[in-house]
Amino acid sequence: MTAVTDPRPAFRLVSPTASREIALLATIVVVGAVFSLASPYFLTVSNLVQTLRAGLELAIVSGGMTLVIIMGGIDVSVGGILAVSAIIIGKAYQAGLPAFAVAPIGLFTGTVLGAFNGVLTAKLKVPPIVATLGSMYVFSAIMFLVIGGAWIAGLPGTLSPLVNGTVGFVPASAIVILAVYLACWVVLRRLPFGRHIYAIGCNEQSARLVGINVDRTKIATYAMLGFLAGLAALLYVARMRNVEINIGTSIAFEAIAATILGGTSIRGGVGSLLGTLLGVVFIRIMQNGLVLVGISSLWETVIIGGLLVIVLTADALASRNNPRSL
Amino acid sequence: MIARNSRFSASDPLRARLLVLIGLWIVSIVAMSLLSPYFLQASTVPYLLQYVPVLGLLGLGQTLVVLAGGPGIDLSVGAIVSLVSVIVGALLAVGLNIWLACAAGLVAGALFGLVNGILVNYLRIPSLMATLATMFAYGGLALATTEGRPFSNFPAGFAWLGLGQTFGIPNAFLFVLLPVAVILHVMLTRTVIGRHIIACGNDDRAAHLSGLDVARIRTGLYVLSGVLSAIGAIIAMSWFMAARPDAGKGMELLAVTIAVLGGTHIFGGTGGVPGAIVAILIVTTLQIGLQLANISAAWQLGVIGVLLIGSVSSLGGLKLRWRTGS
Repeated sequence: MTAVTDPRPAFRLVSPTASREIALLATIVVVGAVFSLASPYFLTVSNLVQTLRAGLELAIVSGGMTLVIIMGGIDVSVGGILAVSAIIIGKAYQAGLPAFAVAPIGLFTGTVLGAFNGVLTAKLKVPPIVATLGSMYVFSAIMFLVIGGAWIAGLPGTLSPLVNGTVGFVPASAIVILAVYLACWVVLRRLPFGRHIYAIGCNEQSARLVGINVDRTKIATYAMLGFLAGLAALLYVARMRNVEINIGTSIAFEAIAATILGGTSIRGGVGSLLGTLLGVVFIRIMQNGLVLVGISSLWETVIIGGLLVIVLTADALASRNNPRSL
Repeated sequence: MIARNSRFSASDPLRARLLVLIGLWIVSIVAMSLLSPYFLQASTVPYLLQYVPVLGLLGLGQTLVVLAGGPGIDLSVGAIVSLVSVIVGALLAVGLNIWLACAAGLVAGALFGLVNGILVNYLRIPSLMATLATMFAYGGLALATTEGRPFSNFPAGFAWLGLGQTFGIPNAFLFVLLPVAVILHVMLTRTVIGRHIIACGNDDRAAHLSGLDVARIRTGLYVLSGVLSAIGAIIAMSWFMAARPDAGKGMELLAVTIAVLGGTHIFGGTGGVPGAIVAILIVTTLQIGLQLANISAAWQLGVIGVLLIGSVSSLGGLKLRWRTGS
């Protein structure tokens, strides 16, 4: 609905929920100020760059998650996709393949697993939450069976410059994140495909009647999220140079939280990439700051959960008069 | 007249479903006894029944929440188990009587369920998101307040519930799960409240127009799910003689699997207690069997994932065939 009545869709950088971005930005500034008063280490270049690098995978995955949620879907298996892709990347490196061969393999794995979710929801008509819960189990089974409880360690860091390098003063990871979000923005805002995503999120039945190939759009969108998870896996391996057993366990829920905090509607049809990016920044700053201030990082889930409740309640109260919310 | 019609159409696919489930259970028993020579022994039965109650209570609560439609789902049940454990353990540690501590735990469970119910039904936040947020909040609180340390100063008599047996059957099964299942089954099939729950799940608008307070009924079921989770927490504590702050970790996914596998339609309106009970037995049989056969936990995950996806998509197929057949 919003996408259709949008007066100037092509020029919009800020979502229809612009107030959300501003509120989130203000919160980030306030939280950042509190942390930098509490800890002298918070507002240092090295700490912020470190936080940026640590948030690379979450940022990339959240971009794809935003597309899926705008389409009215959800994917809780994305951590499993990341894990399986990382393991395959690790095994490929161990088999002696060069980086330029490993990278496409990793991206391909992610895409295939994402498309698998898409087929489950689009063709087998399994509701996305159930489908991806199930495939999360399956992916973690694959992961345990392949990795067998051991780490894959000592992988080459051929792609490390993408994470750790700098271009001039700008960290390479920032450029990677911006490139990913720019690509997502082009897909969502400039291509007909993005319009289809919005249409399905607003009203799937109408989208079908208008002649949009709903099934294909769904599969492609889930595959895009899978592709981004594969990319995140590639960068994870480049950053850590190993694959550990609990890789990707919390990333799906964090990505969903970042997306929702950023103003994307869980009902679909409304969303903002900029908001998601701010949501990721918020979550990572929170994690980093709590550790620096000396508060147990266990409180972080409480804070994220509490904030989600507040944000969702505020949304619900604001949309009371909106017929769409019924 | 209308009531009889709806009862007929609601029970018909369910009966077929129940037969399929019982068949599936027999298949899994045969498969497990082939895998492990220890499985098909009389001593396995109490061992199996020992595992059933906690998961069973959560699965039954989930079944009712899903059954009432909305679409409803309660992802926070595992977190409620953890948080109630912590509350009861802490109250016991400050010297409260065990009975009072457990009663307080039940009240706390009801309150947590009430919060879920209000968020979902009165603020109209999609259930998936609301309970995901409270899952973060409750589970995070349980871990953060205790810093992950368990409480373990339970009186010896407390073990009666979780470890004791009467006539060779675990007490928790005989005196908790069985009565709860019977009561819920009678409530669903023989009382007005049960009819109202099914009506809400079938068509909430029609239910609303015929004078039902849909939001209140659904909220009541979230409260019930919270109370059942609290009972589950007490059984788990009595079983381990410790209150672990991560006691319910991962249980929400198993609870959803049980509800959906048991034939409850994910969008509500169809389903019931008998299917859920057989689904619990299937899941537990698989877990115990694979454990006895010393097969890695990864296979359990994989098998449950396939079951989850398969049960939803096959339910769709079954319904379709049933409709075209008539």
